[in-house]
Amino acid sequence: ACDDGEMVIKFSHVTNTDKHPKGIAASLLQQRINDEMDGTACMEVYPNSTLYNDDQVLEAMLNGDVQMAAPSLSKFEQFTKVFRIFDLPFMFVNMDAVDTFQNSETGKAMKESMTRRGLLGLQFWHNGLTQFSANKPLISPEDAKGLKFRVQPSEVLKANMEQLGASPQPMAFSEVYGALQTGVVDGQENTWSNIYGQKFFEVQDGITETNHGVLDYMVVTSTDWWDSLDDDVRTQIATILEEVTTERNAAIAEVDADNRQAVLDAGAEIRELTPEQRQAWVDALKPVWEKFTDDVGQENIDAAQAINADVQG
Amino acid sequence: MDVVLLFVCIIGLMLIGVPIAVSLGLSSVIFLLVLSDTSLSSVAQSFYQAMAGHYTLLAIPFFILASSFMSTGGVARRIIRVSIALVGHMHGGLAIAGVFACMLFAALSGSSPATVVAIGSIVIAGMRQVGYTKDFAAGVIANAGTLGILIPPSIVMVVYASATDVSVGRMFLAGVIPGLLAGTMLMIAIYIMARVKKLPKGDWLGWGEVFVAGRDALWGLFLIVIILGGIYGGIFTPTEAAAVAAVYAFLIANFVYCDMGPLAGRNGERNTPLWRKPIALVTAFFHRDTRDTLFEAGKLTITLMFIIANAMILKHVLTDEQIPQQIAAVMLDAGFGPIVFLIIVNVILLIGGQFMEPSGLLVIVAPLVFPIAIELGIDPIHLGIIMVVNMEIGMITPPVGLNLFVTSGVAGMPMMSVVRAALPFLAVLFVFLIMVTYIPILSTWLPTTFMGPEIITN
Amino acid sequence: MSSHSQSQSALGRMVNEIEETAIAVILGIMTLITFVNVVLRYGFNTGLIWGLEAVTILFAWLVLFGISYAVKTTAHLGVDALTNLVPLTVRRALAIIAAVLCIVYAALLMKGAWDYWANFANLPQTTGRWFPTGFEEMSRTSYRSWYEVVDIPMPDWLRFIEPMINEGEPYEKLPRFIPYVMLPFGALLLLVRFVQAGVRVWTGAQDSLIVSHEAEDAVQDVAHMNRED
Ligand code: NA
Ligand code: NA
Repeated sequence: ACDDGEMVIKFSHVTNTDKHPKGIAASLLQQRINDEMDGTACMEVYPNSTLYNDDQVLEAMLNGDVQMAAPSLSKFEQFTKVFRIFDLPFMFVNMDAVDTFQNSETGKAMKESMTRRGLLGLQFWHNGLTQFSANKPLISPEDAKGLKFRVQPSEVLKANMEQLGASPQPMAFSEVYGALQTGVVDGQENTWSNIYGQKFFEVQDGITETNHGVLDYMVVTSTDWWDSLDDDVRTQIATILEEVTTERNAAIAEVDADNRQAVLDAGAEIRELTPEQRQAWVDALKPVWEKFTDDVGQENIDAAQAINADVQG
Repeated sequence: MDVVLLFVCIIGLMLIGVPIAVSLGLSSVIFLLVLSDTSLSSVAQSFYQAMAGHYTLLAIPFFILASSFMSTGGVARRIIRVSIALVGHMHGGLAIAGVFACMLFAALSGSSPATVVAIGSIVIAGMRQVGYTKDFAAGVIANAGTLGILIPPSIVMVVYASATDVSVGRMFLAGVIPGLLAGTMLMIAIYIMARVKKLPKGDWLGWGEVFVAGRDALWGLFLIVIILGGIYGGIFTPTEAAAVAAVYAFLIANFVYCDMGPLAGRNGERNTPLWRKPIALVTAFFHRDTRDTLFEAGKLTITLMFIIANAMILKHVLTDEQIPQQIAAVMLDAGFGPIVFLIIVNVILLIGGQFMEPSGLLVIVAPLVFPIAIELGIDPIHLGIIMVVNMEIGMITPPVGLNLFVTSGVAGMPMMSVVRAALPFLAVLFVFLIMVTYIPILSTWLPTTFMGPEIITN
Repeated sequence: MSSHSQSQSALGRMVNEIEETAIAVILGIMTLITFVNVVLRYGFNTGLIWGLEAVTILFAWLVLFGISYAVKTTAHLGVDALTNLVPLTVRRALAIIAAVLCIVYAALLMKGAWDYWANFANLPQTTGRWFPTGFEEMSRTSYRSWYEVVDIPMPDWLRFIEPMINEGEPYEKLPRFIPYVMLPFGALLLLVRFVQAGVRVWTGAQDSLIVSHEAEDAVQDVAHMNRED
């Protein structure tokens, strides 16, 4: 608990505190702020949606009831449609490309794009690239046709499914495991850490390593609160947050690989695609880009592609 | 400690006649405003999100609605007939049939009082006609009616699942074996008492009656198949199952049994079959009976959810003040093992059950004990069933309890007589509670077999 | 206390009919949308993507709208174990205290509900922590009419509000102030009904605000079946 006189910073998120990349990062941030800013500031972390879920937390933040949160990037499509770029299929070849893009001028502009709404992005936190899984083998895009996929609420993710001839199904996250198991829905998409953490692999035929989308988070705060801080306090928080971000984002490849290995060790089938097979998925989903070009801006798509070429070359 | 004051405040308000929901809400709001920097606006947000943000709880209005259509539509009567046809000829036959009918109705309805009202109103009268005492009849029904929340579907299980993020489907499966076991134990107890006390036995009416009664009840009983088959057969989620059940019950009540709606005969007239009045397919949706059933189910939903929503505000206080963590730390430091912990949970629930409506109590207690249970290695599904069984017992233990009230109303006898009447069977349920508490496999075997081992992601 | 008490006046009967029908209709629509979505998914491999969110909103509406009706008909659950033991005068005094507390509760909820909703409708929140002391000065971040729900598309027939509240910008999804408006509306009705109930307790027209269990109506309907001795 916080001492009297300390400024309380409430950080609300929706995962565990010690296994999920976001939870680990939040715990580290909490520990460092409470150590290094003792007497000045004190962070309280509310994990597992105990205080707010991702839909409520930004409302609460605008109201001054919570100071920090790290919702997934698709939650910000409400505010600025540019964020749809992360959901567009095969926009980034790997997490290095994502990282570079987020640290580019465009990425910085995205963090500040919501200040007119009262929210300020502080840092991007990685989770990883997303994979498809279903209750039958998914090798070619045709395999997904006619299947029901649970997707996060996002126009792009829904469009992806429709493009594949599959049907997108909204569903509370807590119901997904049971729904996959009984067959209410056939498949889902997620990062390795979520597929392992939620044990989705147990109730799916296998996971196809498509790396088709990005599931990342943005640490946000309210402009009102951030601006109200003393300069030195604000700078110290920002510095600690940046260091935590650098440390945890650098570790994401390892966390991702560990989770992928854990899925394998648990006996699940991971299907790697040949370059030709992967290209078939890219070709099948590419038309989705056109639908959202106006939202995300052609120049941003071009920038992302240039980064892809860079990190690959 | 502040939290003690908070609970004293809540109980004090309840005792002077403030509605339970307001007692919870007002005490919590005052504490939030005094102790934290939380705004009233965030209280309103919690209130709204209690419904809009808890998809699982949506099953509550739907199960209530399904149960309402089933009660209004004469399903209870048909279930009782088939129960009597099956076991009525045994020693204590009608009482055993009453338990059996409660078990069947419990598989259609999510609530215990609904079970007591639907089955008790008919069976108690029937038992008295063939020579049972009213007390014995009331005691049987008050106890058997508690199975309403143990045999799936169950509103209390839905609330537990929502409060702790375990799967509703798992909870429902977990209730099956304990539900059958509790019912069987009650029936055996009655049989023994019947042999000792020489209670009346009915006549064996033959397989023909079993067949005819069974066929007549089949439409209603098919709802069990829809709910469980639909959930585990991958057709719908538990919440959707509840909605489908409600629509199915509406169709059966209106168009097959024709006991309500445009085809129902008024003032003793016979019901009109659908083929003679097909326009009923349209008019039933706008019929006064439909509106009234929807309204009654809506009203019950509103009063339950008002409590649950305010309990969510209390949960917000507890979370905000990090109370569960503090209690967990104290208990773990004191070196309590699982056995002591479970006894404490039993006691808390039995006492809390005296004052609180079960769902509201669960919303408050579950977040307090759940993290500790996980820490102690207790299976969350097992914990859920223990809590449900405690709720059951709370409903029929003196001084007050939901099923005692309802039975006293249904049987037209004073509360204290019902309490006395229920006592012998209560002993059976206490033995059952001990079994369920210390034999986890009773609860976990079925869900684990069907759905794999429980995962704890938190 | 029976919940069958009915208002006598024609206006009262009409209001009652509207309230009961609204409760029935909301629950009916919730059930139908959920059912149709199952049929669409299982039968036709498709679905109303907005259905889930719409049903959860209607669920909130059902309860927020209905709690005041339940006050009017004395249907809220409470504990009468103690109040039944004390003499009538004490019971009435306790009921008056209880009514005052309920009014305080409703007033606090009303302030919270307004404050929560107001900014979504570009209106000022109230100042003051416990009771409203005035209206806040609107700042840049107090205008939140742009905030949309997640899945429900903006219906075209509602687009006339865009110039009025969203600076002419089109809504892709329904703005949040629309579903949330039931919060202040419901809280206001609750406050009114608690005040009325308080007056009835004061004048002796009723002596409690609660029923002791959820099945009182249902029990009343079947009680005659076992009453003959
Ligand atoms: Na049940
Ligand atoms: Na009790």
